Amino acid sequence: MTTVIDSPVSAAAGEPAQPKENPDPLGRLQSLARAKTLAAEYAEVAPLLAELTRSESAASDLVRAGRVLSKLSPAAVLEHNPAQAVIKVAVAGHSTVAALVPPLTAELARHGLLLDITLGDFDGYLRELQDTGSQLYLSGLDLALVVLDPQAIFDELPEVWRIEELQEATTAKLAQLSRLAEKFVSNQPTATLVLNTVPLQRAHTHQLVDLRSRAALGIAWREFNAGLLRLSAEHQRVAVIDFDPLIAAGGPVGDARMACYAKAHLGDELLGRYAREVAHLTRTIKGLTKKVLVLDLDNTLWDGILGDDGADGIEMATTYRGEAFGNFQRVAKQIGSQGVLLAVSSKNDQEPVEEVLRTHPDMVLRDTDFVRINANWNPKDANLRDIAARLNLGIDSFVFADDSPFETGLIAASIPQVAVVRLDEEPALHIGKLLADGWFDVLELTAEDRERAALYRTDAARQDLLDSSDDFEEYLANLGVTLTVAPVSESEVARVSQLSLRSNQCNLTTLRMQPDTVRELSQSPDHLVLYLRSADKFGDNGLVGALFCSKSADGLTIDNYIMSCRVLSRGIEQAAIGALLAHAKAAGLGPVHASYRPTKKNHRVRDFWPSFGFERSGGTDEAPDYRHDLATPPEIPGHLRLRASFER
Amino acid sequence: MSTLTEERFLEIVRDELDLPLLETELENDFDQVVSWDSLYLLRLVAAVEQETGTRVPVGRLFSKRSLRDIYTTIAGATAAV
Repeated sequence: MTTVIDSPVSAAAGEPAQPKENPDPLGRLQSLARAKTLAAEYAEVAPLLAELTRSESAASDLVRAGRVLSKLSPAAVLEHNPAQAVIKVAVAGHSTVAALVPPLTAELARHGLLLDITLGDFDGYLRELQDTGSQLYLSGLDLALVVLDPQAIFDELPEVWRIEELQEATTAKLAQLSRLAEKFVSNQPTATLVLNTVPLQRAHTHQLVDLRSRAALGIAWREFNAGLLRLSAEHQRVAVIDFDPLIAAGGPVGDARMACYAKAHLGDELLGRYAREVAHLTRTIKGLTKKVLVLDLDNTLWDGILGDDGADGIEMATTYRGEAFGNFQRVAKQIGSQGVLLAVSSKNDQEPVEEVLRTHPDMVLRDTDFVRINANWNPKDANLRDIAARLNLGIDSFVFADDSPFETGLIAASIPQVAVVRLDEEPALHIGKLLADGWFDVLELTAEDRERAALYRTDAARQDLLDSSDDFEEYLANLGVTLTVAPVSESEVARVSQLSLRSNQCNLTTLRMQPDTVRELSQSPDHLVLYLRSADKFGDNGLVGALFCSKSADGLTIDNYIMSCRVLSRGIEQAAIGALLAHAKAAGLGPVHASYRPTKKNHRVRDFWPSFGFERSGGTDEAPDYRHDLATPPEIPGHLRLRASFER
Repeated sequence: MSTLTEERFLEIVRDELDLPLLETELENDFDQVVSWDSLYLLRLVAAVEQETGTRVPVGRLFSKRSLRDIYTTIAGATAAV
């Protein structure tokens, strides 16, 4: 327990009354379904499933919950909740795929996503990949799941087979799937194709009695799986889920009887794990990746309670339990090295905590690994909100890990948007619990990701400058901002796509773009895609924004403007828009059109265009369109050095 | 290992399959049971095996046309152990 009961400060402040969690989430779900109010009360579902996921019987309970939820029609849910996000999925497979529906429904619902699913025919995957009229090519589709199992190979073999025939079959199957993946990518404009590696089972290897052939089978099989995994490197919109780690987690691949009689070659447990991966892949594609990991300290990062045991009494190495905490710190640091921001929320005094982070000889994580260290006696929900405000990030991008059921329960109940990792008194299990969900999965890492923590930390230095400046003008003058605006080339594609997927608050029309779309637009003669890169006296801010424009006879249309909120209010946006408009005027591109499209997150940029002299030209009050006649483009702020180029 | 009573079997059908059947409906041909499919059978088998700790002869069940037939086959198999 990290709650220090005998601390006078804590006792004086008092613990807040904890909001109640539901003791029987599955029962609640079933009773809502029986009362026919589940569609209307759909907002309750995600918190109930979060609660359900922590139970011992989570795997089977999630499937049960999924059965209840899959009986709801998406239309009925949407009728009551018009703003509900829907994920359109089509499934094809070699064997029966219907058993995937309940776990996939539940795993997506955990993330507040409503599944709209279309199933293909039994053993229809090859025909359906080939036929551009099949469910896999539906318009507006998000995911096309093609579920492969070992029989997809073994069904191709003659009655009696030798290793050479197996080798030919795997080579031919890989070539066939590569062709079909290519066909898919060029004919399906929106969806990501999801394949999986195929498990190799003893019932197959041991049909060969000579060990030499058996080894050759093992090699051919792994080459086939490696070839599948390479498809995801070749195509931006092909993902391959690796079954090896899912199978290594234990349990059978399937039940031989179900495989034989019902053609269900992949068992429920494995399909459940697969569904979880698919749900996180969905988050990744939709830009719902979590950005911040907030960690508790006492009994989360080290063994013991700093306030009671002192700096010499806490352990994170040398003792049995201490070593387990050290291992957990290493994994947190590993995650932090890949663009996830680490922060601390701990019930402790600030000074001793900072002292331990700076000087304790056994610590793996150091003060410089964290972008915020909140050690105080305020409730943790207030601390999480404080960290979110300081980092200028939405609290729904937070993951919170703590060993105290009080604290995890408090956050789950009071800020349900935060993903809660419920650690317990067994530190050797901390790593598995943190990684059980792919909260931080991204398609690929960018240079900004690796530097992100440092970028955020220098913001503290900027804050100090702001605090010591007499006014904002003086602060800006001393900040020494430089801004580069230039056309996107290959080296910026990944980061610009990532920005379009991750940015929520300063995203004028929220057009999400995968890397291949960004690349296509950046090479099109009718489009102008610009990136913004800024720096100041404290260091490089990295690539902080992008402008998507299209040219036509009517003039220049700004399809979207996105920017990292971290650098807002430094004149960067004014300089970028000013430079673009000056260019449009000089190059005779005509008047400039722009729009604002509201989402739940981007209200702070509602008046972005009028503030730069754009005038309302149409649209609705909620979703206005604007026009700038270019008579007087916005001035470039004097405190800022601008380098702008518009030619590729 | 325990014998499966008819009442318990019916409970499993109701709870696991979420099919609100009356006792009399045990006799109905599957054509009359709304949305019966092989997935129901798989779930039923898994639940019965968990309950009784005895293996169910799955291969014989696919040809059965009613829950009564399935129950009789399962009860016969579990009693025989």
